[in-house]
Amino acid sequence: MGKIIIFTILALSLLGGLLAMILHLVARKFHVEEDSRIDEIEKLMPGANCGGCGHAGCRAFATACVKEMDIEKNFCPVGGNETMKKVAGVLGLEAVTKEPMVAVVRCGGACSVRPTVTEYGGTASCRVKASLYSSDTACPYGCLGCGDCAGVCASGAIVMNPETGLPEIDENLCAGCGACVKACPKGVIELRKKGPRGMRVFVSCINKDKGPVARKACGAACIGCGKCAKACIHDAIEVTDNVAYIDFTKCKLCKKCVAECPTGAIHAVNFPVLPKKQEEQ
Amino acid sequence: MAKTFPIGGIHPADKKISRDSAIVALPLPPVVYISMCQHIGAPAVPVVTVGQKVRTGEVIAEPGGFVSAYIHSSVTGIVKSIAPRADITGKMVPHIEIETMPDEWVDTVDLSTKIACHIPDDPAAIVEAVKQAGVVGLGGATFPTHVKLTPPPGKVAEYLILNGTECEPYLTSDNRIMVERAEEIVVGAWIINRVLGKQCRCFIGIEENKPDAIEAIKKAIGRLNILSGGIYEIEVVALKKKYPQGGEKQLIRTITGREVKSMALPIDSGAVVQNVATALAVYEAVMKHKPLTTNTLTVTGDCLDDAFQRNYLFRIGTPISFVIDQIGGVPENAAKVISGGPMMGKAVSNLDATLVKGSSAILFLTESQTRRPKETVCIRCGKCADACPMGLEPFLLYRLANAANLEELEKYSVQDCIECGCCLYTCPAGLPLLDKIRLAKADVLGAIRSRKK
Amino acid sequence: MKKLLVSPSPHIHSSVSTKTIMRDVVIALAPAVICAFLFYGWYSLAVMVVSVAASIAIEWAVAKWLLKSPDTPCLWASAVTGLLLALSLPPSIPLWIVLIGDLFAIGVVKMTFGGLGQNIFNPAIAARVFLLISFPVQMTDWTVCGGIISPVDDITGATLLGVMSEGGDVMALSSLDLGRTFFYNIGGSAGEISALAFLLGFAYLLIRKVITPLIPLTILGTAFIFGWIFFAIDPTQYVNPFINILAGGMLLGSIFMATDYVTSPMSESGCVIYGVGIGLITMLIRYFGAYPEGISFAILFMNALVPLIDRACHRKKFGRT
Repeated sequence: MGKIIIFTILALSLLGGLLAMILHLVARKFHVEEDSRIDEIEKLMPGANCGGCGHAGCRAFATACVKEMDIEKNFCPVGGNETMKKVAGVLGLEAVTKEPMVAVVRCGGACSVRPTVTEYGGTASCRVKASLYSSDTACPYGCLGCGDCAGVCASGAIVMNPETGLPEIDENLCAGCGACVKACPKGVIELRKKGPRGMRVFVSCINKDKGPVARKACGAACIGCGKCAKACIHDAIEVTDNVAYIDFTKCKLCKKCVAECPTGAIHAVNFPVLPKKQEEQ
Repeated sequence: MAKTFPIGGIHPADKKISRDSAIVALPLPPVVYISMCQHIGAPAVPVVTVGQKVRTGEVIAEPGGFVSAYIHSSVTGIVKSIAPRADITGKMVPHIEIETMPDEWVDTVDLSTKIACHIPDDPAAIVEAVKQAGVVGLGGATFPTHVKLTPPPGKVAEYLILNGTECEPYLTSDNRIMVERAEEIVVGAWIINRVLGKQCRCFIGIEENKPDAIEAIKKAIGRLNILSGGIYEIEVVALKKKYPQGGEKQLIRTITGREVKSMALPIDSGAVVQNVATALAVYEAVMKHKPLTTNTLTVTGDCLDDAFQRNYLFRIGTPISFVIDQIGGVPENAAKVISGGPMMGKAVSNLDATLVKGSSAILFLTESQTRRPKETVCIRCGKCADACPMGLEPFLLYRLANAANLEELEKYSVQDCIECGCCLYTCPAGLPLLDKIRLAKADVLGAIRSRKK
Repeated sequence: MKKLLVSPSPHIHSSVSTKTIMRDVVIALAPAVICAFLFYGWYSLAVMVVSVAASIAIEWAVAKWLLKSPDTPCLWASAVTGLLLALSLPPSIPLWIVLIGDLFAIGVVKMTFGGLGQNIFNPAIAARVFLLISFPVQMTDWTVCGGIISPVDDITGATLLGVMSEGGDVMALSSLDLGRTFFYNIGGSAGEISALAFLLGFAYLLIRKVITPLIPLTILGTAFIFGWIFFAIDPTQYVNPFINILAGGMLLGSIFMATDYVTSPMSESGCVIYGVGIGLITMLIRYFGAYPEGISFAILFMNALVPLIDRACHRKKFGRT
């Protein structure tokens, strides 16, 4: 009995040793020399593999950084400046800082203000719907409401609001990777500067139709009247193709345009609530 | 024994309700809006000005490129505007608006109904006449016919196949023209055959469910042969009723036994397929100098009164709403209006859109007929693969499409999909197979094209 | 005016749905159910009713409470699983074992993989094998309880395959009246009585186009050829190949279980490999294995290979040589 046990232990140890040797030799023989900085950078990455940087994943991004030695072009929007500073340190490059960005839905056409004129009976996919026809509402530009953006968001920042039929973006979760921008067949979502304390002003409409047509289709449409552009003292607003656009690099957040807009298409978010006094007067 | 293609196919209910309703001319609408995008390829370029008077058959737009076509006025009247207007899918395309007056045809057109069967000898002259008349393929793709009649150098057409299958349920316009205008179609076929050359054999494929069309075409060939001394060597082939028998590749396989290779054109297999309605248009263009300004439209649906099951001769540019007025409005219980057949037609979202050269039917379906079943889960039954006439595996392509795996999609031939809809029709789980596959196909074709560059 | 409905083509849909398919399978099993009832009486009917009810209840409960799925699962599909399991159990099986079987079939084999369409193994067969290994005594107790009709007096309680496996009188078996075996064959699982009942169900499935005959025919063909070779070599040792086809779970397995959509290959060539594999393994177990019957093991084994078969075998595409 004792003999059997000893033999078993011996045989298995030998086998184990032999296999370990083979493994070791194979690993040596097929070892691929890789820049150790790739591993280092990969460790710094957020690891979401979201593709927001334009690469297939965090490892691909790290490889590109090392190979091209360029962190201007290769910028991780999720990790932001903090991460990129560390990456710059690893590569011995000067850090590049970029403004943090956030995805913004430029459509205010909730079900209540933008009635449907046909009923979409296909599968719930914006892409399928967009390839089929302009829209089930009279506005051929706005959000289709099937939630393709919510489906691609790796950080779970987008939720479709069943009441408005529009996506809502949680800016604390949004990494600014831009996956939703690519997924939206209508180009409704834009990456905009997050702004100081999240404050930003934008036109929540991209309807290029003439004023009366846009107005008829949607109560919240930009009618291209140009009042906001006149009110803007920073020259940040331009009206092209019957729709206003606020250039976020020029906007100083004065909010003069918000009050001017007759349809409420200009949204100002995260501004501190005005003191009650004004309302009482 | 009727022939058919070997892989896949489905048998939806036939529903040729309007089959015996003779073609009648649709009344002249007060205004027509003629689209500049009535064909595949570049949009036509308007050559008229607002306020100008045009006569019926007059050129109002010229081709905007090599693959493009002339467009003629379908009415006599005053050009009111040239402006973008929504088509049936809501897309804005340029239209020419013409307020109609009593008909005044251009002088060159021969309006007599006598059958002309003296075919010109010069193929180049025929192709030019076809081009000048703005003839496009009327089987659905609306590919400019003069381009199709000019095979690329080195390619020889051995088979000309006239497509009279009309395999989609409900549609009867091809059936009616084959019954009523058989001789003109036969002469038209022979004109095309003359262009393609002497080596080219000519067939007309008709599904078995249209015995009167088969009979009429056979009789017409016989009669014309007596008149001409037997020049029309055209064989009528009866085909089994199976969708998509009228698919170009399926029809070629059925009649010639050849399979058009993946990503290749029919002409690569020595075959040219033309719809019977196109043959009729070619006849009118060449023998009567009459441009393509009218076509036949089936108006049908189970929810439509028997009295309104019609086959109309319509003018291009007629608003769909005008046609619907003729039958007393959209039927009460109709849920969907379709331009074309129930398998490949387009749902109309805009009734103010107008009829184009390739319009073949206005079909009304009820809620219960057309509402998509609830999507459940794939049970791996394989019915979609059994139904696919291209031998593809839609269940697999659907999975790959959802994963956006373009490499595997190409490996499993998503680019060969003919978008016939058999997979979606047959799926017991109600999955949107074709919806997703169609998009994946576009992505893969885009990738293949960018690789070639 | 009413809003127009807009959706991509095609605009019509076949009336066949997952529900109608599963209902057709239940209908196709009706002759076998009736036979089981006639020969084994009320108790076998109780087993079937309990099994079906339990399967439905378990699937519904798991989907609603455990997975929190908003959609109701296809209950006809769970009914099919319950019925198939009941038909593959001995007629005198205790009800509590049936319940354990259903719990295993639906709860473990089906729902843990994600429910209908996702499971790798056929739930009914996996559960049968599970019970066979866990409760070998009860699962091989072929005592016959009182049937409504009992047309024979040679009820022995032993199965044909059991006799073969234990080296019984093979010559006597081969001379057995094949015609009788075709109509009824007492001894065996509740559903294994009548070949005729299964063939009726098979015909119904074929007419309704629920299944194609490819898988059943390759399984039966392989088993027949295998049996015939051995029969030709030594008829004193091996039985008439027809007996191999008619006896045991061969018909139930090949017609109703091996053809399960979810766990069978998608391509024709794959189905042939799958069918030949099942036929071969079944016969190897029957002739050389420890168990008298092997189709359950054979199907389970081939189920495991289906993902591989599907990867390797594809349909012939149009325009590609």
